[in-house]
Amino acid sequence: MFQNPIIHRELVGLLRTKKAIAIQVALVFMFAVLVILRWPVDPTSDLDGVKAMQVFRLFGYGILSALVLFIPVFPATSVVRERHAGTLALVLNSPLTSLNVYIGKLTGVMAFVVLLLFLSVPSLIACLGMGGLDLTADVLPLYGLLLLTAFQYTTMGLMVSCLANTVDSALRITYGLVLLMSILVMGPHLFTQGTDTWVADFNGWLRCVSPVPAVMDVLGHGDIGSYGLGSNENSIGRYCLIACISSIFFVGRAISLLNFKLFDRARSQGTMTHSLSERAQRFRDVFFMGMDPQRRKSPIPRFVNPIIYKEFRSRRFGRAHWIVRMMAACVIISVALAIASTQGSEKWGPEIINGIMANLQFGLVILVTPSLAAGLISSELESGSWRLLKMTPMSPFRIFTGKLMSVLVTVGLILIATIPGYIVLLQVQRGLIGQIGQIVVCLVLTGAFCFALSMAISTMCRVTATATSISFGLLLLIFAGTFLVWLGRGSPFSNETVTTILTINPLATAFGILDVQGFAQFQNVIPVGMPWGEDNEFMMPVNWILMSILTVVLLVIITVRLDKLTKPE
Amino acid sequence: MSTSEPVVVIENLTKKFGEFTAVDDISMSVDRGRILGFIGPNGAGKTTTIKILVGLARPTLGKCTIAGADCVTDAKKIKQLVGYMPDKFGAYPNMRVREYLDFFGAAFKIPPKRRRNHINDVLEITRATYMQDRYVETLSHGMQQRVGIARTLLHDPEVLIFDEPANGLDPEARIEMRELLLRLADMDKTLIVTSHILPELSRICDEVAIISAGKIRALGTLDEITEQLGQMRMVEIELRDASDVSKAVSVLEENVPGVESTSSESEKLIRFRANLTEEAMQQLLASLVNGSVSVSQFHEVQTDLEDAFLTVTKEDRAKMV
Repeated sequence: MFQNPIIHRELVGLLRTKKAIAIQVALVFMFAVLVILRWPVDPTSDLDGVKAMQVFRLFGYGILSALVLFIPVFPATSVVRERHAGTLALVLNSPLTSLNVYIGKLTGVMAFVVLLLFLSVPSLIACLGMGGLDLTADVLPLYGLLLLTAFQYTTMGLMVSCLANTVDSALRITYGLVLLMSILVMGPHLFTQGTDTWVADFNGWLRCVSPVPAVMDVLGHGDIGSYGLGSNENSIGRYCLIACISSIFFVGRAISLLNFKLFDRARSQGTMTHSLSERAQRFRDVFFMGMDPQRRKSPIPRFVNPIIYKEFRSRRFGRAHWIVRMMAACVIISVALAIASTQGSEKWGPEIINGIMANLQFGLVILVTPSLAAGLISSELESGSWRLLKMTPMSPFRIFTGKLMSVLVTVGLILIATIPGYIVLLQVQRGLIGQIGQIVVCLVLTGAFCFALSMAISTMCRVTATATSISFGLLLLIFAGTFLVWLGRGSPFSNETVTTILTINPLATAFGILDVQGFAQFQNVIPVGMPWGEDNEFMMPVNWILMSILTVVLLVIITVRLDKLTKPE
Repeated sequence: MSTSEPVVVIENLTKKFGEFTAVDDISMSVDRGRILGFIGPNGAGKTTTIKILVGLARPTLGKCTIAGADCVTDAKKIKQLVGYMPDKFGAYPNMRVREYLDFFGAAFKIPPKRRRNHINDVLEITRATYMQDRYVETLSHGMQQRVGIARTLLHDPEVLIFDEPANGLDPEARIEMRELLLRLADMDKTLIVTSHILPELSRICDEVAIISAGKIRALGTLDEITEQLGQMRMVEIELRDASDVSKAVSVLEENVPGVESTSSESEKLIRFRANLTEEAMQQLLASLVNGSVSVSQFHEVQTDLEDAFLTVTKEDRAKMV
């Protein structure tokens, strides 16, 4: 197998990248710091190995988050990048089969994962030296799970890479799936655990799609937000089963795609609806709700910023009919959830529905905003169209506002579409108005921050794929990574540390507002005097101030960068 | 159509990047309705000069004006006066050709009604009407070049600047491109065209500027350039008998000492460069005939742009070595 030249090239190519070096250095540094922090310095011996277990837990979560956040980037760009560079055609034209190519790419990434795991061995040995850890009961199951997770995410990335048309769309889809498969699938279980319904059973299985519950189980931790309820579910077994089945699917799908069919695609002939039959025209009118993308459009209106039109038209899902469909889906889901709260059991009360809706909204904002904003400037720089824009009389401000509005309108419309659900909820329980209002503020600030961060990165990168991966990486670090510290609450992290770290995460603030178990005590709030009402003091989350300041700073950076980019060299 | 009124004027233009001088004190002008071929090897300073002209870069020293507007201080006016097509097309995904042109028309603030007519006109001029519904990223390179030119014409600029418009085109597309450029010049547009495909330029350009190592080495019509460079005449001697080739070479070396020649027995051909007068040429021919060399043809090869270009770059390469 190691005679396969693809393995050699993939692994050596990967090890030469700056990203790979940065990941290795960061991991070694992190492992070393963890051990040093918990190394026993007092004369009292730690017979039950509590400190070793504390370090080991963070170890496990740290490696897991590194695998989930960074590893999928490599396979996700691997095939699509080669397809565009033309080297995939050369490889497929050689005696190597599709299976050889696939195994080569998979082994290259997996070898890198094994290397990363090996980097943790010296620190792990130090942990074992501290006592209290068992090699077969603790260490090997964790490493087995981590390898399985890496395999699952690598095969997923490779499949996406075979399906995607561009490098940045491959990254967007991959990070979307990472967010879905590792974090969002755990959401519904938070709200239905402890109930005895088929929905609860389904959510119990759904949560095991994520490797987090299995890793938590191995590390002897409870569930996220587990209301103190014990669970008899075998999350390790479930995860292994789901990971194996999904990996087989990912491998099969990718190998079926990895052949000359990738290149055997005709160029679009640009068929227009008016050249089709009467019947076909009528069908398309109904199907596209009167917004047929194949009908010729009227010119961009005089007083509208042309950048907004351009952004919508050049997005794959930016056409009006897609936005209307997405809005319709949001309206249906939110209203259905709200109606469920009026007809369901007591367990499905308005508070729980409110929580599920907020989770869905945060997921949408975190997923959609960077995927739109990270390419706003970098894609122009990459394709060379920035130079053309500079040659038009449009000012930097007009370009910025056009791009801002194109993201704002899309995200805003999707969020507005969930309002009918809230209206139904408020009809059921008027007392929720304050909570809903605070969640909306969190969402708006999250959207603004995600946009500003992604666009700021976009102004600094000349390649959209880089901008997209950095944006998603940072946002996942803020929105998902900070929960790792929360997992280590009490020990090794003090409550103050957890509260401070979670201040940066608007999702944690939203959980605090929603009184999700385990988050209420970590609300970092300050009392603010309000000029109205009897109770004229409001506990404002510090996160709101922090997000506002960060967003303003990022907007200043965007302005400075745009000004520089639009000026002559 | 052309007048002697200079539209593009470059005076003592210098551009430095740190210690490196990309453009070194160049001056030239282009009259209305004329086509200037701007040629030079890679890294000679062509694109830098063009970027300064269109306002994408600032000069270190010197001045450029287009129709009286300063390229540095009148940046807004320059955008209206110049249509620039860079070497990179700048496609937007999922956009049809008509939508692509509509966007740039709107960016140039052309009112919708007029914009629709303009788009029809520019598609007609560039013979690209049939591709108006195609997606820009699916177009072939030749098609993209035509859409690129259509885009530059949208706001009806006086001056058109094309960076390598014939690059990567097949022979048929090159002929079409050449015809298109001539049509634009007939519309009284002033054109500056850079290209590496020199025969293309020599056929359509009124004037040529050769830039090398940041300096203008030659400027003027092709005839003027040949004169400026003091080029040696290239002569070809075709023989009837291949066995006469060595004899002919020795006669040539006797008559023109130190001459550099190439010969091919299979082609029965000798080619040489020399700075010969008409009398010297007659003398050489007579010597060949008297020496019993079976000459079938003796003629001078017309100097072309490629020769001029090679002469200049050869000198610069020699200096660098």
